[in-house]
Amino acid sequence: MSTNEDTNINVADGIDHQVAMVMDLNKCIGCQTCTIACKNLWTEGGGTEYMYWNNVETKPGEGYPRGWEESGGGWQGEQGEAHTDRQPGDIPSQEDYGRPWEFNHSEIMYEGSDEPLRPREGAEWGPNWDEDQGAGEYPNSYYFYLPRICNHCTHPSCVEACPRQALYKREEDGIVLVDQERCRGYRYCVEGCPYKKVYYNTVSKKSEKCIFCYPRLEGEGPDGQTYAPACAEECPPQLRLVGFLDDEDGPIYKLVEEYEVALPLHPEFRTQPNVYYIPPYAPGQHTEDGESVDVDRIPREYLRELFGDGVDEALNTIERERQRARQGAESELMELLQHKNPAKQYRLGVFNDDD
Amino acid sequence: MSDHNELTDGGIGRRDFVKGLGVASLLGATGLSFADNGMTGLQPVDDPIGNYPYREWEDLYRDEWDWDSISRSTHSVNCTGSCSWNVFVKDGQVWREEQAGDYPTFDDSLPDPNPRGCQKGACYTDYVNADQRVLHPLRRTGERGSGQWERISWDEALTEIADHVIDEVQAGRYDAISGFTPIPAMSPVSFASGSRLVNLLGGVSHSFYDWYSDLPPGQPITWGSQTDNAESADWHNADYIIAWGSNINVTRIPDAKYFLDAGYEGAKRVGIFTDYSQTAIHTDEWLAPNGGTDTALALGMAQTIVDEGLYDEAHLKEQTDMPLLVREDTGKFLRASEVGLAPDADEPEKVFVMVDADGNLRAAPGSLGDRDGQHDASASIQLDFDPQLAVERSVDAEGGTVEVRSVWANLQDELSQYTPEFVHEETGVGENTYQRIAREFAEADAAKIIHGKGVNDWYHNDLGNRAIQLLVTLTGNLGDPGTGVDHYVGQEKIWTFHGWQVLSFPTGSVRGVPTTLWTYFHAGILNNTDPDTAAKIRESIEKGWMPVYPSEREDGFRPDPSTMFVWRGNYFNQAKGNVAVEEQLWPKLDLVVDINFRMDSTALYSDIVLPAASHYEKYDLSETDMHTYVHPFTPAVEPLGEAKTDWAIFRDLAEKIQERARERGVQPVQDRKFDRTIDLTTIYDDFVRDWETGEEGALAEDRAAAEFILEHSEESNPSDSDERITFEDTVEQPQRLLEAGDHWTSEIKDGEAYVPWQNYVHDKEPWPTFTGRQQYYIDHDWFLELGEELPTHKEGPASTGGSYPLSYNTPHGRWSIHSTWRDDPKMLRLQRGEPVVYLNPADAEERGIEDGDTVEVYNDLASIEVQAKIYPSGEPGTLRQFFAWEKFQYPDRDNFNSLVPMYMKPTQLVQYPEDTGEHLHFFPNYWGPTGVNSDVNVDVRPAGGDSE
Repeated sequence: MSTNEDTNINVADGIDHQVAMVMDLNKCIGCQTCTIACKNLWTEGGGTEYMYWNNVETKPGEGYPRGWEESGGGWQGEQGEAHTDRQPGDIPSQEDYGRPWEFNHSEIMYEGSDEPLRPREGAEWGPNWDEDQGAGEYPNSYYFYLPRICNHCTHPSCVEACPRQALYKREEDGIVLVDQERCRGYRYCVEGCPYKKVYYNTVSKKSEKCIFCYPRLEGEGPDGQTYAPACAEECPPQLRLVGFLDDEDGPIYKLVEEYEVALPLHPEFRTQPNVYYIPPYAPGQHTEDGESVDVDRIPREYLRELFGDGVDEALNTIERERQRARQGAESELMELLQHKNPAKQYRLGVFNDDD
Repeated sequence: MSDHNELTDGGIGRRDFVKGLGVASLLGATGLSFADNGMTGLQPVDDPIGNYPYREWEDLYRDEWDWDSISRSTHSVNCTGSCSWNVFVKDGQVWREEQAGDYPTFDDSLPDPNPRGCQKGACYTDYVNADQRVLHPLRRTGERGSGQWERISWDEALTEIADHVIDEVQAGRYDAISGFTPIPAMSPVSFASGSRLVNLLGGVSHSFYDWYSDLPPGQPITWGSQTDNAESADWHNADYIIAWGSNINVTRIPDAKYFLDAGYEGAKRVGIFTDYSQTAIHTDEWLAPNGGTDTALALGMAQTIVDEGLYDEAHLKEQTDMPLLVREDTGKFLRASEVGLAPDADEPEKVFVMVDADGNLRAAPGSLGDRDGQHDASASIQLDFDPQLAVERSVDAEGGTVEVRSVWANLQDELSQYTPEFVHEETGVGENTYQRIAREFAEADAAKIIHGKGVNDWYHNDLGNRAIQLLVTLTGNLGDPGTGVDHYVGQEKIWTFHGWQVLSFPTGSVRGVPTTLWTYFHAGILNNTDPDTAAKIRESIEKGWMPVYPSEREDGFRPDPSTMFVWRGNYFNQAKGNVAVEEQLWPKLDLVVDINFRMDSTALYSDIVLPAASHYEKYDLSETDMHTYVHPFTPAVEPLGEAKTDWAIFRDLAEKIQERARERGVQPVQDRKFDRTIDLTTIYDDFVRDWETGEEGALAEDRAAAEFILEHSEESNPSDSDERITFEDTVEQPQRLLEAGDHWTSEIKDGEAYVPWQNYVHDKEPWPTFTGRQQYYIDHDWFLELGEELPTHKEGPASTGGSYPLSYNTPHGRWSIHSTWRDDPKMLRLQRGEPVVYLNPADAEERGIEDGDTVEVYNDLASIEVQAKIYPSGEPGTLRQFFAWEKFQYPDRDNFNSLVPMYMKPTQLVQYPEDTGEHLHFFPNYWGPTGVNSDVNVDVRPAGGDSE
């Protein structure tokens, strides 16, 4: 690990700058516009149909692929130790991902079938099967939405896992990619990623993953314009901030490093994700008499499992600043979390003059 | 799919594979090894973190980020979104869409209006080339619904329809021809296409907003207005927001940001939902009243506000009917004519009476009898005296002394029943909690209620509306930023009203019909409802309060409807009372023509289906009351197959009718209701003529029709300004409308979000009610008879659908806009691929049902087969099925609406005042019976259970 010469932020050795994303879970409504934005752009055919490089899952829940949190991967050892030994992991089955069902529209609509419209092969599980389910008992049940992309980790266990060194982390921005020419489809990366964000394509016989929309970032389209990843740009509540972790003037740095309200998912996997989450708060519980009481609806222990011990301080900070806003005080943090200044939402060009 | 099978069935991908085999054997098995450096291009990489030498391949993805052209369009669906999208075309095909994201910001202190859109809009491209796409004119060859068709030519299709229509018109049955298309704002040119033809034919134009139970009847009742709402940006101006049965995070995805960000701006957000809904999860406090008890909760809160003196007295005195006197003996308002007041008014018997601070009787200014009709901006309700609120006394009236009490005194009596004990018992909400919320609401600087279908789908929706409206009235939260009851269900209102109206109904003589009444009347409700309701329906029709077509002929005979055109909507699938509609109404129709880009259920059950252009293949406009912009549809590609735009289809049909009428030598027909003749030999010429300028052939194309709308509307071409918005302007960028026409209740102001009711609250124009004030007391005979002169909490009908233990809810869901996208594979893959019902775990367990089981949901009307999904956040005793699944998604072709009977409420069939109706009179989508559906009971059992 090194400290970038321009900043105080730790990025991986050999990486000039690290792209990063903050997702505010208090603004995620589970609409999956991000999922569709990504799918339409990158995973429409040729064996990618089952892949959701970006997915949104209901928590608590099995997620996508089913049971990924229990599927191993990442690094062994206590937090803070060197990343030396990889943790063994599993490769999910096709049913765990869910099959990209095909349907019988034509027969019903134009060929006189009296069957109902259905997935041709039946449906047992899918990438959003347990949507809205969550846990707990009415009226004190709880659930929230967790959008996920590749974390483009500072210590990516998928890269280390590949015996052909066909995965790499880009020098200029830390984006983790699978070389589609070099990959031979061994799937050690699939197994080694604790977030299960590398996918095997049975048609091309190669593994594929979220590319952080680098052609958009690079302005590679016919219009020459720079765009944030499609999952962020198309998000209706604009819950994603995109920029560089080592951009000290950017909102990501402030939320992650200064206010410490944006936290990595499952830090115990020890890959050092570069996607950070503002943890969710929820309305308090109800008593049997229907009175509101100031008791956490989402068990704090569950949030610690997801986001580590930093979640308590993060939620306290957010609550404190919300109280200040309610009393009419200025709060930089509250301003950062609102979508009032699109120019600050995406800071993609800040290091363009570096080269 | 076989490739995926390989992953599982071949065993390669199984998790134990990697575990069970060493690396060497894995590589050996595939013929590769680490030593295999001789393979083309494979060299050792020193450090793949930051120093990877082989990056040329990255062009693979860069090459995909490529397109040939971009067109601006949107989606013609009744979602209130009105989101501007860029449609990317690659190799002559639509490739993808992305929000245009360029709505101009009108207020930097509010969250950015961009990007508006949702996951459904983000994959409309799929529909353009979908299996569902209707590509050719089709004629049914099997039973309706069988999916058996023959492809016919356009000429054949249009000739068959034209000859049928000519027969009907010449036989005087033009009022047996119906046109159903909802929601002009979502694509006014396409709306106008068929409406214009139907209007020229003398046919019937159907209402939709009331039919879909989107109309909140309490608003015309209390505020004399269909609805008027703040644009969603105004949510952010509120200090206190109650989302009351409006599941914003699911049904208002493009607007949710304003609600979510308000929480960081310091607003308190309260959710009132029966379930821990997708919006409740992002509130600061959630209240969970029992289903159908919203009225009791609202009146309980009102009682707290009144009892604790937290109300806005000045607002009540000036803006409401609270000071008006009501006779104790009749329940009617005391009229000025009865006490010798307002002798100079046109109609002193329609002027109302207050008592001033000195105890003198005073005529209330702005009453209907003292102003020029429903809307009269020249009159004023401003007071030059201080009226008393609480009055209880006798007055000397003609015919003797009568006891009178003010509305306020009557309201206090009504509210006194809503004790904390009663409210808690009825609603289940904690006594302390709801009273505290009432206090917080009353004490907030700017408090707002966002109101939705969760409240509005109940039989007593009018009472629910009135009770909830009372909260903002009591607290004076009207007419200012961050206030009001914003009712968002359906994109009912169109900003560019006049241009749309004259394009759609060029003759000005419109045969409008309340669709709920039309549907249920022809589906046999008179023989299928309680005697009191049946009598009231008859009385309303006989008195001419509500029309039904075909009209009763002079000999007392009323023909059946014969012909129906449906476009831009899925009438048959979405009809509540679905069983009766299918069994009784549908067979009466000799010809059903559906104009559609996809084969929805109405199309499937039609006789002729005509292929319509998709949303990416035509010119049109898009507007919504969620924002104050207008933006266009423009074609990204040519219509697929033989599809044509709606405008071209109805234009070509008009041309064929004219051609055939001339060939057949038909004569003009005198309309039996309007002073006009229906002349089929000129109907095409009339269709394409600009009736405003008289220019022949001017409106042959859809783009010209769009320009016509902009040109002839105050909002886009204000009469007092040189500024105007052209179609080309909207293609450049969404345009903020310039002015609000007279069907809105405030001005559009630069730098401010639109907020309604300012004409009344600030400018003191009379509210368009009988009394000229917000009117919480309705002295209509039927309201008095039913005990509903004031908002009151009533139990709904008891055994709708039969006596079953579960309450049946069909809310709007996340994955479709009504039935559009219900059948889209991309959406279905993120659900379970088929219709599901949400069950509380306890209800499921009690019945031996597990998540994923196939179950039957049943009542006296039908039984439908669906999949059970366990939803711990659903209240016990409720079965929730997000609505609008197509009939063909159920094994037996019954659908979610098959469990819902025909029922409607007599108070919504009235005219008020009874004799003249200025306050409440039938007008399509403004006043008419709502098609309610939330009082229904069902039960559920594992499929193949006891009944088999």
